[in-house]
Amino acid sequence: MFRTLLKPFTRFFEFHAKTHYRAERHSMALSVGIILAAGVGGFIEIAPLFTIDDTVEADPDMRLYTPLEQAGRDIYIREGCYACHSQMIRTLQDDVDRYGPYSLAVESKYDHPMLWGSKRTGPDLARVGEKYSDDWQVRHLVDPRALVPESVMPQYAFLLDTALETDSLPGRLAALRAVGVPYTDDQIGSAASDALGQALPDTERADGVLDRYGDETNVRIFDGRSDRLTEMDALVAYLQILGGLTDLPTKTQPARGEE
Amino acid sequence: MMNRLTTGERQAAMVLSGMVALAGFAMAIVGRGDPMGVHGWITLIFAGVLFFLVGNVLYGPEPTEDRSASYYDDPTKVGILLSLFWAVVGMGMGVWVAAQLAWPELRFDAAWSSFGRIRPVHTSGVIFGFGGNALIATSFHIMQRTSRARLAGHISPWFVLLGFNLFCIIAASGYLMGVTQSKEYAEPEWYADIWLVIVWVVYFVLYIRTLARRNEPHIYVANWYYLAFILVVAVLHIVNNLAVPASFGAAKSYSAFSGVQDAMTQWWYGHNAVAFFLTAGFLGMLYYFLPKRAERPIYSYRLSILSFWGIVFFYIWAGSHHLHYTAIPQWVQTLGMTFSVMLLVPSWASAGNALMTLNGAWHKVRDDATLRFMMVAAVFYGLSTFEGSFMAIRPVNSLSHYTDWTVGHVHAGAMGWVALITFGSIYAVVPVLWRKETMYSWKLVEWHFWLALAGTVIYVFAMWNSGITQGLMWRTYTESGSLAYSFTDTLVAMHPYYIARMIGGALFFAGAVIGAFNVVMTIRSAGHQAPQLDYPTGSEANEPAVPAAE
Amino acid sequence: MELTYEWTSAFAQSFGLIYLMVLSVGITVYAFWPSLGKRFDKAAKSILDDEDGPCQ
Repeated sequence: MFRTLLKPFTRFFEFHAKTHYRAERHSMALSVGIILAAGVGGFIEIAPLFTIDDTVEADPDMRLYTPLEQAGRDIYIREGCYACHSQMIRTLQDDVDRYGPYSLAVESKYDHPMLWGSKRTGPDLARVGEKYSDDWQVRHLVDPRALVPESVMPQYAFLLDTALETDSLPGRLAALRAVGVPYTDDQIGSAASDALGQALPDTERADGVLDRYGDETNVRIFDGRSDRLTEMDALVAYLQILGGLTDLPTKTQPARGEE
Repeated sequence: MMNRLTTGERQAAMVLSGMVALAGFAMAIVGRGDPMGVHGWITLIFAGVLFFLVGNVLYGPEPTEDRSASYYDDPTKVGILLSLFWAVVGMGMGVWVAAQLAWPELRFDAAWSSFGRIRPVHTSGVIFGFGGNALIATSFHIMQRTSRARLAGHISPWFVLLGFNLFCIIAASGYLMGVTQSKEYAEPEWYADIWLVIVWVVYFVLYIRTLARRNEPHIYVANWYYLAFILVVAVLHIVNNLAVPASFGAAKSYSAFSGVQDAMTQWWYGHNAVAFFLTAGFLGMLYYFLPKRAERPIYSYRLSILSFWGIVFFYIWAGSHHLHYTAIPQWVQTLGMTFSVMLLVPSWASAGNALMTLNGAWHKVRDDATLRFMMVAAVFYGLSTFEGSFMAIRPVNSLSHYTDWTVGHVHAGAMGWVALITFGSIYAVVPVLWRKETMYSWKLVEWHFWLALAGTVIYVFAMWNSGITQGLMWRTYTESGSLAYSFTDTLVAMHPYYIARMIGGALFFAGAVIGAFNVVMTIRSAGHQAPQLDYPTGSEANEPAVPAAE
Repeated sequence: MELTYEWTSAFAQSFGLIYLMVLSVGITVYAFWPSLGKRFDKAAKSILDDEDGPCQ
């Protein structure tokens, strides 16, 4: 039955089979088939997300990472913190009750790459900024188990003794601008000085940071020592800004009773 | 080994390694003071050693044999050994990483030894070092046998194999220095990524050219899986690693994507790395070595074609199930979930096809640990694909995501499926390649099998328990409506499972060490097989390559 | 025509389904095409005896 039904087409098909006999064509046809089957799906699933900007919440007042915070973010990446800490509060009640308003797309708009994470061996950090004091963060990074005996987090005491390398910061900010973060020439040019200034309050440099990044910027000695700029300064500055780039989530999601 | 190359080929190899060494030197100069400079020196040493190895025998005697009368197995042999080397490194690192979660003091005080830096050494070491080398080696073996043709070229297979290992070394050493893009399973920085693209293009060209030498119009289905592995991994790798370096003299780069787009791209990559690296290629292994070892053709060839296209097509959509309840649009999550569930059909078709092939040969499975490796691998493939589809369902995912359940699922697949099919294939292929009658010790194969199985089961059960426990604790409320457990409460609950997990991993690691030892001893000491298989046996003869009950 | 989010996401959701069905039907027809059966059987059996070196 099947055979008779298809009979008119078999000649056409056999003709095809014969042209495929050329070995080269057969394997190339297979390759093209694989690319078509696999590529199209991925493309049409991802492509719409690049047009998402015209529907997603926007926040014109969204802050940029300062050079010091960006340097801290780079250290966060370098040490693989993302392997155990997510930065994505899901739209689940217990996530919101534990960590705060759920994360919005706009919040990671300038995160190249995003650090949403895939595993919570430690708690989510999307809104950890200003939840603990600088001093707590530094002591916790130096010896996590001194503050949280049950913790399995590695200690990062060496950050306190490592001077922050700032020479590459203009290049880093310029690369970020190339991928879409709106840093100005001024911000890129004074990146190294701004990194220093953010950890030295009441200096001219510090005023420059406030000029370029807004008065809301955290300017203070993050690691507790004013004599040098360390990687600890940068990492703590980054941790303290997490969740603080925009206040859109708290505005759009009124808190539900106590947290 | 080098005497199978002509003088011209040796010269070409020397020029190539010289060029790579020069590139390494340039990197070392430009990137001095940065980890990139260290990578330059590593590249220089790696290529320099090859340069002198080839240079030493440059004007040695020309090959005397008729090369077109035999398969070219030297790169396969080296690939198998490299794969076992990386298995020991990667799994050893895994045990250490696991131990750090149970006893954080084992981190010690060095900067390089923290969980965050050595965890990617474990993942990349196992996925790319162990899995990747095994895939390259077995693909060389299978593409020649199924095409009845010698590899198309004598330099390109070495370039692919050694170039890939250079990539692995740069990746692993980079993580220890803190060089990472933070994109999971795509951590290496821009220069390593560019190098891998070059290696991969050569790999594809070699594969196509070898296939072009075959005599049959039809390409055996195992090659389809390998081709999908090569092609799709190339596409995924290039797109996900698009980045702008902060400086051409330093390792740090910034992804071209951010936020929502980056999350989708990363998990489109991440999930399809599972699909096309850890599934498609290894299914190619399964479709060749399992029928071969069982001495029975695959149960249904048609089913294998159907499931091939199903896997190629469905998997590519499934990545967004990693992003349930996040800031990704709802329809994308739904799409990911739907395709993940549909994936069960081609996945189970493959697993069922493998098991049905063994139907009627169960006595062989009982007697032959090598075949048993493959059989259990197919069972674990079926189990973990079921689990994966299940976990992709949104409400289930709300419990499982971010917990150890995910880790357990990945390891059910990686240990139970990927590693077991690889070890089974290695035990099947080593005696053939080195012309030995059997492995050095079949008892050690048995030991390896049972250690691997026990290790996997302990690991997976520990992680199921810990993951579900933690997921439930996170969402438990007191009667007054507040959260019942703090995060640290859940950590305390995890501790016993973390110890059990480490024990499971250690058993598995011990098995791998035994396997590596057994392979080395096979090469060194087992008796030589009569070289009857070197000569045409005629198509009727159906001599098993290896006696079934070893 | 402007590529808005509405348009592209609607396209992804509709075209994806069509593409899926066309591909599934195509593959099923190919896999079960009667005249290819012999070729498939031959391929399945061919790997059982391939250690005698390349065809000359």
